[in-house]
Amino acid sequence: MNGWTKKMLRVDLSDGSTSIEEIDEEILQKYLGGRGLGAYLVYTEVPPDTDPLGPDNILAFCNGAMTGVAVPTGGRSSLSTLSPLTGTIFDANTGSQFGVRLKWAGFDALVIKGISPTPVWLEISDSGAEIHPADELWGKEIPGTVAALKERGTATVSIGPAGENKVLFASIADEKGRSYGRGGVGAVMGSKNLKAILARGKQKPGIADQDIFKFVNYEAGKMVTASPRTSEGLPEFGTSVLVNLMSWYGVFPSRNFQRGKFENAEKISGERLRDEYLIKRGACWSCPIGCKRVTKTKTGKGEGPEYETIYALGSSLDIDDFDTIIDANYLCNRLGMDTISCGATIACAMELKERGKLDTELAFGRADLLLKTVEDIACRRGLGDEIAEGSKRLSARYDMPEVSMQVKGLEFPAYDPRGMQGQGLLYATSNRGACHLRGNMLGPELLGAPKMLDRHAPSGKAGILIVMQHTNAVIDSIGMCKFVNFAIGDDFFARLMTSVTGVKYETQDLQLAGERIWNLERLYNLRAGFTREDDNLPPRFTEEPLKEGSSAGHVVHLDEMLEEYYRFRSWSEDGVPSQKKLKALGLDTLEMEQADA
Amino acid sequence: MLKQFQKFGSDLFYRGLTSSHGGNMSIRMGDRIIITRTGSMLAHLEENDLIEIGLEEDDSNIMLASSELVVHREIYLNTSALAIVHVHPPFAVALSMTVEDSIIPIDSEGSYLFRKVPVVQTEATVGSKDVAKIAGEILREYKIFMLRGHGCFSIGPVLEEAFQWCSSLEESSKIYHYTRTLQAAQATISEKGLGELEYRKHTEDYDVW
Repeated sequence: MNGWTKKMLRVDLSDGSTSIEEIDEEILQKYLGGRGLGAYLVYTEVPPDTDPLGPDNILAFCNGAMTGVAVPTGGRSSLSTLSPLTGTIFDANTGSQFGVRLKWAGFDALVIKGISPTPVWLEISDSGAEIHPADELWGKEIPGTVAALKERGTATVSIGPAGENKVLFASIADEKGRSYGRGGVGAVMGSKNLKAILARGKQKPGIADQDIFKFVNYEAGKMVTASPRTSEGLPEFGTSVLVNLMSWYGVFPSRNFQRGKFENAEKISGERLRDEYLIKRGACWSCPIGCKRVTKTKTGKGEGPEYETIYALGSSLDIDDFDTIIDANYLCNRLGMDTISCGATIACAMELKERGKLDTELAFGRADLLLKTVEDIACRRGLGDEIAEGSKRLSARYDMPEVSMQVKGLEFPAYDPRGMQGQGLLYATSNRGACHLRGNMLGPELLGAPKMLDRHAPSGKAGILIVMQHTNAVIDSIGMCKFVNFAIGDDFFARLMTSVTGVKYETQDLQLAGERIWNLERLYNLRAGFTREDDNLPPRFTEEPLKEGSSAGHVVHLDEMLEEYYRFRSWSEDGVPSQKKLKALGLDTLEMEQADA
Repeated sequence: MLKQFQKFGSDLFYRGLTSSHGGNMSIRMGDRIIITRTGSMLAHLEENDLIEIGLEEDDSNIMLASSELVVHREIYLNTSALAIVHVHPPFAVALSMTVEDSIIPIDSEGSYLFRKVPVVQTEATVGSKDVAKIAGEILREYKIFMLRGHGCFSIGPVLEEAFQWCSSLEESSKIYHYTRTLQAAQATISEKGLGELEYRKHTEDYDVW
């Protein structure tokens, strides 16, 4: 089969069994692969009351039809699970070579369940999976683990000490720090006593219509070259290009979102990163954009930091020492932790201290304590053990939940929604919690992509957000990167899907698939007990106007937008999809089967 | 400054020299450029649509600047221009696809102003480094040139002059088009006589009235 391989590799670590299954072609066509296929697998195989760190949770590594196909940014893969941090259905996405090599080994999906009695690592080839003992790898940082397996292959993802210690925001990453980053997927892997997975496939997937594919791919390449965002901004600065821009718009958070402005933004900007720290650019497989940064500080070297990291380990902590921020980024990458949740939870601890709830020397501006704190979290030492549980649990422990900047347990990325109404709605309605990658409101609200909207106007934002949420679900599912969406849109994705898979897709087919995926994730969360009350924002965003900067005086008008959002989606006032909608999406039968089960 | 951009942006659109979201303008101020935002509407420019960025060096505003920034920069670095207009005037664009390497105006005004307008082509036409290189060279000798099938880049010491070259080129292209169309019609008439083409009886007799 072209594009998809139609094969799924299953591994049960409890009994050491492995098997290869056919994937129903209709499922691939309906859910596209990647995040969509992962959502289907979690929905059908993991009851929401499952212990996320128990043997019945699964890690579903899923590829899209474009993963491993030489299209612009065709190197993305997805990982779905029940998150130990949020309790929601969750998917994380990476540009690591691992997904590509898994696809080239002949698998659209690798599904791992069970718990190994002893530490193990997995080796994936076209003949299946082999389980190897990992006692000598256990305890190693990620680069050391990958290096130890280098002779067997180069596409390896691993957990670090944070995953082994089940830090609730532990990640899974390759040696460069390209991660399945958020939601504690690394803790799930650690709970299974699984240290690393190596994939070494070589067989590239077939293309259904080479002539059309070549032409559409050529045109897509032209668009990427023509866009200054994909051909200049991101290649030259990486995502850190956003520091000064967001600061100018008054949405660059500092001091745990107590402020939307950071006076020293210039000191931690993309411009400074380029001028003083950049060694060279990096790119994921088949990516013409190349937003990755290989950087060097006085004491370290590695990839990053991303824009979100600069906020989380920098401005949000009131730290402007760029060397320390970058070193903390390297450290998170080596130890295997999501930098956003790590930094945001440290910021929560700092505010607890500021408000007299927490007795610690950790405080805003204490750059000197940052590296030690990061290590303490990964090793669950002292206060680090409490921070390792994420900001929602930490703030609850000290009876001050309002200082936890999270939605559904997932900490915020680096855009203050008080200056971007649609972004606020995006955070509140995201199926995996406060996330900027579930829909792109940065484009229409601040960058003018595809068109510039009034960022402070709540009315009508729900309509465009819904389309954005579907488009991002599609991109995550077909195995491409959201950044390419700055240059090409749904029409290109549809033509690429058609030419690669041989299945006719039009733009509206993909939007429908995106809507199906979104609603399926919603159904899962509803079964898990999430309600309208959880489609919410911390009171700081709805009650406390920003005091300075170009977004001063604004709060998020969430209730108004949420009412529109539910109505536009044909959901009830409680946020439950109507039967009519489920039927239109082909989800009614699936939903009834699960209800019966 | 905003008023200048608004005035000429509005004129460019309402005179039919570009589409609703097409075209861009810039001015040079020392080592900085003020350029229209990518995707902005020239007829409805607001303060946020003017993006300041370095003449040679990128900064964060690269995410907002027009996709033709690369061409504007190369022009400023190689010519004495202080203002640039880039639009897609339909008659000139159509004409550019019927000539080999230049548009030679046949009207008096166009001939006086331009004498010749070079027409060049490249594989990639939007935000293209190839176009930038050619533009930087060609505008040392000419004040406007056509990118075949795409549009024109014109320069001047101020926006008004760059605007004038676009406007005049389009007028010359219209005159060229109307003239050649009428000449073709005239040739047909000479060949076949008016009788076959006219709708009236006594067509041949009218010239003796």
